[in-house]
Amino acid sequence: MKNKSNKQKTAETRKANLLSVLEKHGINIYDDLDKGKFPQFVIPSRSVNNIVYDKKIRQYILGNASAIRSSRNMSQLRSYTQLTWLAFFVNRLVREGKSSTLRDIYYSSQAFSIDFEDQPESDNIIVDLEAVTSSPREEFHIFPEERSSVFGDLTIEYTVPGYEGKRVNLSDHPDGYLIGPSLSSAELVDTSAELVIAIEKGGLFTRFVEENVHKKFKSIIVDTAGQAPRSTRSLLKRLNQELGLPVVILADGDVYGEHIAMVIKSGSANAAHLRELTVPDAKWLGVWATDIEKYKLPTIPMTESDIKRIYDLQKDPRYQEGNWKKQLEVFLKLKRKAELEAFSKYGLTNITDKYLPAKLEESKSL
Amino acid sequence: MSKESFSQISPSEFFYRNRDLAGFSNPTRSLYTSVREFVENALDACDQKKILPDIHMSIKAVDSEQSDPKHYVLTVKDNGPGIDPKHVPHAFGTVLYGSKFGLKQARGMFGLGATMAILYGQITTNKPVTVKSCSDDKTADEFVMLLDIQKNKPVILKHNTKEASKTGLSVSIVLEGDYSKAGSKIRDYVSQTSLITPYASITFEDPSGEKFHYPRIVKEMPSPPTIIKPHPHGVDVETIRRMIVDTHYQIPAVDNKMIEKVRKELGQKKNLTNKDILERAQKKWSDLSRPVRTIIAVMSFLNVDFDGLKKIRIDDLDVANKRLTYWDFGEAQSHAIDLDPESPYYKQLANTVQGDTLLTFLTKRFQRVGPTTAEKFCEFAKLKPERRIGSMTNEELVRLADALQKFDDFLAPDPSCLAPLGEEPLSKGIMKFFNPEFASVIQRSASAYSGFPFVVEMGVAYGGDIPSTGLKVYRFANRIPLLYDEGSDVVLKIVNEMDWSRYKVKGDPPLVIVSHICSTRIPYKTVGKENVADRPELERELKNALQFLARKLAVHMSRQGAADMAKKRANLYAKYVPLISQFVTELSGKKKEPNYKQLIKMGSEIEEQIQ
Ligand SMILES: Nc1ncnc2c1ncn2[C@@H]1O[C@H](COP(=O)(O)OP(=O)(O)OP(=O)(O)O)[C@@H](O)[C@H]1O
Ligand SMILES: [Mg+2]
Repeated sequence: MKNKSNKQKTAETRKANLLSVLEKHGINIYDDLDKGKFPQFVIPSRSVNNIVYDKKIRQYILGNASAIRSSRNMSQLRSYTQLTWLAFFVNRLVREGKSSTLRDIYYSSQAFSIDFEDQPESDNIIVDLEAVTSSPREEFHIFPEERSSVFGDLTIEYTVPGYEGKRVNLSDHPDGYLIGPSLSSAELVDTSAELVIAIEKGGLFTRFVEENVHKKFKSIIVDTAGQAPRSTRSLLKRLNQELGLPVVILADGDVYGEHIAMVIKSGSANAAHLRELTVPDAKWLGVWATDIEKYKLPTIPMTESDIKRIYDLQKDPRYQEGNWKKQLEVFLKLKRKAELEAFSKYGLTNITDKYLPAKLEESKSL
Repeated sequence: MSKESFSQISPSEFFYRNRDLAGFSNPTRSLYTSVREFVENALDACDQKKILPDIHMSIKAVDSEQSDPKHYVLTVKDNGPGIDPKHVPHAFGTVLYGSKFGLKQARGMFGLGATMAILYGQITTNKPVTVKSCSDDKTADEFVMLLDIQKNKPVILKHNTKEASKTGLSVSIVLEGDYSKAGSKIRDYVSQTSLITPYASITFEDPSGEKFHYPRIVKEMPSPPTIIKPHPHGVDVETIRRMIVDTHYQIPAVDNKMIEKVRKELGQKKNLTNKDILERAQKKWSDLSRPVRTIIAVMSFLNVDFDGLKKIRIDDLDVANKRLTYWDFGEAQSHAIDLDPESPYYKQLANTVQGDTLLTFLTKRFQRVGPTTAEKFCEFAKLKPERRIGSMTNEELVRLADALQKFDDFLAPDPSCLAPLGEEPLSKGIMKFFNPEFASVIQRSASAYSGFPFVVEMGVAYGGDIPSTGLKVYRFANRIPLLYDEGSDVVLKIVNEMDWSRYKVKGDPPLVIVSHICSTRIPYKTVGKENVADRPELERELKNALQFLARKLAVHMSRQGAADMAKKRANLYAKYVPLISQFVTELSGKKKEPNYKQLIKMGSEIEEQIQ
């Protein structure tokens, strides 16, 4: 059993850090107003020119350029106020242990005559605050609507109001547990698992639970529901970081599947301002382009946009070498793709009985 | 059209056949055109005598129960000079009778507007026209007339004279019309007329009894145009022929008075024989007046004494063809005799009736032609300056007309015959009419096309009460609103060709353009006087005027933009700074809000940075 009592209060600490950062901003702005100075925020620039790939930490990060959001500039005054409001609102959320969704934020703003034109505008301000505080929005208690789930022998302890100190084991419910605000803010107490398997599809997730993959492979199974939401990536990161569990990824045998694995491993350009979301050691198990032939999987032809996507990714620095590069080339050569479900041709348990063990073995050498 | 076809039918008949052209194509259009013709005549009459116009117009259904099209009574009353009772039947009972043929700007041009409306009324309802006129502020004459279409002649049904105290004229006709369809155009016409005639007071009572009153906005009338001679570029062969006819020395009427005059100049009281007369005349020739010389020359050819002369009427003296035509009252028939070119009287007669020399004709009958220019012209036209214009052959006349068009050294036409409204009245009219946030006007200096002078006046109005429904153009020509046939008009063409975005005008702007063309001859496309044809000279002037105004508008727009910006800025800071303050007070854990007032003030005062 992995027990991390020494790191017990990770969630607690992060909360305290965030609150103090917010307060510091509040005080600075307050003082500026009092002195008749125009307050401003310094926001790391997220423009394309400032997104660079850091080879060392193997993810996209923001360069040194930063933008100034100043209340002196009339065209920025509104968004400056919006950002201040968000800091104020997040401060309340976190202190009161309440959570909200991106959409909630958009509507909540209306009570304060903060006129967001639409949700994309408020989403954008949230990203600004992430950049200003270097914290992902999950720490602000703001979650996207989409949810993915987790299953396996993992005990957590809630920190949300009303549940503080309450513990749950994530293998108690066979449908898995939603990776929502309370799970995201919970302390990870202990686990018997030795591996995390992230899988792209809910159907396969259920199959894995049924087939006792969590037991057979001593694993925690995570359903990423397509491209993994940030709360899921954040959980994967914590499982890897706090509990020292290796992460492997199973996705469809196409260019999108490959990229799902890549984003878990090294982030997306959209989140270059955050470093809490990547699992650099995560391994992409499959389905590789080369697996399609090797396992004689039934295939479907690629679409125009599949092919265009391959060309796009070939320009990404992370696809310039090794297996990542090779698989893209093979996909391009095949011009065909295979879904995870394709293994069912050889029996429903073929994927868990045959393919998974083989790939886990293979991955050791990666 | 050929001369024959014209002479076979009377002008009334001709225009009856061509009434579509003149704007009488259907009950809707006809009602509108009739209103126009009478209102314009009234305004013309007032303009001419510098009387501030007071116009009352009413349209009443004869039987309001009926449905359109139906019979209406249209009455237009003015406070103008009226018409001498002698002329009333002609002015309103014949086509092509007009007092406005002289070269100066007026609304009426053709001398047929009123008569056409009356004709139309008569044709559709068989009711006479009633004209009441007072020209001396003592008596008013009322005529009730029908027109004889075949003979181009009025038939007076009733005529009476009453006491009156004010000059003015009123016309009333019954006509078939469709007010339900024409109403909006008529109301537009009246209101737009008030815009371009801000010195007039106009009242219109519609069939429902509703009154539209447009009070006088300015008290000064634009100075009236002077009547001027034609410009050489502006005449054609027909016009020259007309001009020559009236330079012809008129054959004097041979009546008792004339005979007395001849006797007196000859110094003889008693009856003389033809021979005696000629002898005496020869001796005294240089002392005789022109009419007397003419009479004597005629007597020589006819070989008559005074008694004989009384029995005839001279009808035509065709010097070029050496023929004299006369009517013999006794025989009641016409005679023609040949003139002997060898006779000394022939030469005298020829000089008298052949009119001026070409040189004199040019300098006397055209504007801005001096002797030097005239001589140069004669050389250019290959015509002798001393040639008598009355004796020119047809072919020579054509050559003359042609050369007058082509000769480039004539001075530009004299614009004193034009009466533009003027920038100030135009601007006042626009302000009153549209109540805009911005307006600007321009009067271009005079220019000319084919010998006709013209002046373009234009105004632009923006914002204020003007709705944001896109650019609207108000077209006027010689102070007449033009409401129909917009599509083919030159002003519309120029406005549409304009790249408005260059002048900071976007989307559906609350923008109005008022265009006024003044000319002795507006190049209308039809007799209906609704749209103006494009002439390069006119196009250029319109374009220049429009560009000038557009630049003014652009300056206003950017100034407005800056003012709007400052206001917006102040509003923004007043709104957002208190919010920021409220948020950070809680965020920083303070109890009291910071003193942010100064920041609001500073915020609204920041100079806009030039980007
Ligand atoms: N209200 C009036 N007061 C005084 N004179 C008038 C009035 N109405 C018409 N007249 C006289 O009658 C004449 C004939 O008018 P009419 O409308 O037929 O021709 P016009 O105005 O000269 O030309 P157009 O055919 O273009 O209207 C005018 O030229 C004018 O002399
Ligand atoms: Mg007229």
